[in-house]
Amino acid sequence: MSENPTRPDTATYLTAKGFCLTSAAWMIMATLVGFTAAIELVAPDLTGNIAWLLFSRLRPMHVNLVLFGFVTSGLLASAFYMVPRLLRTELYSEQLGVFTVVLWNAAIAAMVVTLALGYTQGREYAEMIWPIDVGIVVAFSLVFFNLMMTVKNRQEKILYVTVWYVLAGTILTICTYSLGNVIWQPDSGALAGIPDAIILWFYGHNVFGLLLTPYAAAVVYYIIPQVCRTPLYSHTLSLLGFWSLIVIYTHIGTHHLLQVPVPTWLKVVAVVDSIAMVIPVMAFLINIWYTARGKIGLISGDIGGKFVFVGTIMYFIVSIRGAMMALPDVQRVTHFTHWVVGHAHVGVLGWAGMVALGGIYFILPKITGKPLFSQFLANFQYWMILIGVVGFTIVLTISGLIQGNAWLSGETVYRVLPQIHIYNVVRASLGLLIFISSLLGFYNIFRSLFSNSGEIP
Amino acid sequence: MKMTPAVVVIGSLIILFTVVSVVIILPYADTSKTIPSDLLRTRTVMEEKGRALYISNGCVYCHTQSIRSIDWGLGAERLAQAGDYLKDSPILLGSQRTGPDLSQEGGEHPDDWHQAHFTNPRYTRPLSIMPPFQFLKQDNLDMLIRYVQSLGLKNADLRMERQTLWKKRSVDAYESGVNENVAWLHENVPRGWREIPTPYPASEAGLARGEKIYQDFCFGCHGPVGDGMGPAQPFLYPPPLNFTILKGRGISGGIIYYQIMNGITGTAMPYFKRELESEKIWDVGNYIAKYFIDQIDADQEPKGIDAAYE
Repeated sequence: MSENPTRPDTATYLTAKGFCLTSAAWMIMATLVGFTAAIELVAPDLTGNIAWLLFSRLRPMHVNLVLFGFVTSGLLASAFYMVPRLLRTELYSEQLGVFTVVLWNAAIAAMVVTLALGYTQGREYAEMIWPIDVGIVVAFSLVFFNLMMTVKNRQEKILYVTVWYVLAGTILTICTYSLGNVIWQPDSGALAGIPDAIILWFYGHNVFGLLLTPYAAAVVYYIIPQVCRTPLYSHTLSLLGFWSLIVIYTHIGTHHLLQVPVPTWLKVVAVVDSIAMVIPVMAFLINIWYTARGKIGLISGDIGGKFVFVGTIMYFIVSIRGAMMALPDVQRVTHFTHWVVGHAHVGVLGWAGMVALGGIYFILPKITGKPLFSQFLANFQYWMILIGVVGFTIVLTISGLIQGNAWLSGETVYRVLPQIHIYNVVRASLGLLIFISSLLGFYNIFRSLFSNSGEIP
Repeated sequence: MKMTPAVVVIGSLIILFTVVSVVIILPYADTSKTIPSDLLRTRTVMEEKGRALYISNGCVYCHTQSIRSIDWGLGAERLAQAGDYLKDSPILLGSQRTGPDLSQEGGEHPDDWHQAHFTNPRYTRPLSIMPPFQFLKQDNLDMLIRYVQSLGLKNADLRMERQTLWKKRSVDAYESGVNENVAWLHENVPRGWREIPTPYPASEAGLARGEKIYQDFCFGCHGPVGDGMGPAQPFLYPPPLNFTILKGRGISGGIIYYQIMNGITGTAMPYFKRELESEKIWDVGNYIAKYFIDQIDADQEPKGIDAAYE
């Protein structure tokens, strides 16, 4: 790590603090919405005829809140702390950063309201209507500008791998978000027919590939060597992981469309590159795990390190699942089932979400200058989320396999509903666990920022 | 390799644009030449408005419109073709199949079935976990039903013609009186089926299975005591059949079986051949015959070769 501990830290870190709070607050909303939707799968008449509480309106709200409200905000908090630190300078403009936080929150709040009222473009991960799309793109552009100016003002010549990932993740997301939301068509936000599906899933997959994964990898690359008090294992693997991620991840969106009439050669590209994902994934993981080799004690003693390290294990699991699901033979069973929902939960909550939380808990003492308000609450939240996400993975995988195999052997969707009922019940109870954990997390983060005596309890 | 800001930013942008040209622009050149399929037609204004409601209420999160070669259920008769989707913007393939695929839903049921189903899905499908859509005002509901009835486009139109034709015939029969209605229903079952008594014995276990199936599939329309007064009844015309009137009117196990298997097009009675196989249909038929009709022909001749079970 290239940091200068002697340099007095005069930065206010207002932007990082703002994103910490943003992430914690939207996590409550995101998990509450997810929990409510999960109950509705068990008790569909629960919310009666209240339009904005319909499962089908809550579903996109949950997904977008998790992606953009909770996880992206949490990772941005870390980015706004780590990038200036690594460059031995201060953020170019905290004012602009705070404005970005406000704009970001306005966009997310507008997303919640519009989706609740049924204003949607109806395309997964690209539901938000055009004015909000513009807000999101502007916010990312401000993030990019602010960080690029910080890079320009840097006192440290060498860019650490965290900086590569943050810069690339931001600029590439600006492009893929605009492309995937067909931002040049304000009315529909869509193309027509099969090309619409291809562009949608190109973007849909790159939300994970070019936004969440690079940001999360950036945080892991920062935290693990620091917690382990050791230099990064390999610069070469960093390079390999970084470039291969951008080359390979961008190819694979069409593996969502293997059973749809899209050009066969494109499916072949998607399947082959989905398997090739082993290169960026393992280059990154080997690099991190070799850095952490023999240092598990140090990691388990640091709440940020703990979240982040478990996040890398989840990344391993979600990547194996992802590569498997891209195989046409596996997909015959898993496509359209809860298996895919399980995959999404390991990826977004287990990997990017746990890393986001780890980042927040790691930087909080540094940006406030005081210890975390409560180590106990943070540890408690860690266990709740770990149990929750492992539980989600197990029940959703089982119910997905039940669905897929039943359909494949000729059962109708309707007849399989009673078979997956109990898994939906367990899924909802795990949702409650995650929701409660988000309340504890918010309380802890809020108290750490605003009402912290600074004593170690 | 020296990672300067320019290398990171411009390098990754170059990669992205290269990949976009391979996985977006190149396939676009390919797919933009797609020709319309045999079933493609333009949607009416009502259908388009209904489609907007389908999108704004998030139907796409549980219903796919993507029939695959491995599918068996609703719509599986026709494998999806690229030319089916030409007028879909956005395309509504879906990613989860919590409810059935709707590619070919148009004309599977008459409009009044949909009215009951949207009011509360459990009225027509007791095990459904779909949310109720009663909050949609009637004119919106009408548009949504028009869209759903157009799914499958030209194929849906053919099925809708069938629904309209048989709706008229079944209403005429219903309005001509109980005897005439029952006679009409029986007439429309092929002769061979009419004469077959239930080949399965009405065992205690079989009747218990029949009850379970009745509650999972039939209860919403025909009601808990088989008098046709289930919660869907107020929405349906002709109303669901009251089984208790069938006694002494020429009912047979074969007739019950055939009508459960094939449904009665034009009425809300769907076909269950995809969901229930032979033993399940005989079991629920026995249950209806024994408890609601009070006239059961199980254990009657001709029985043919003795069954190996029991």
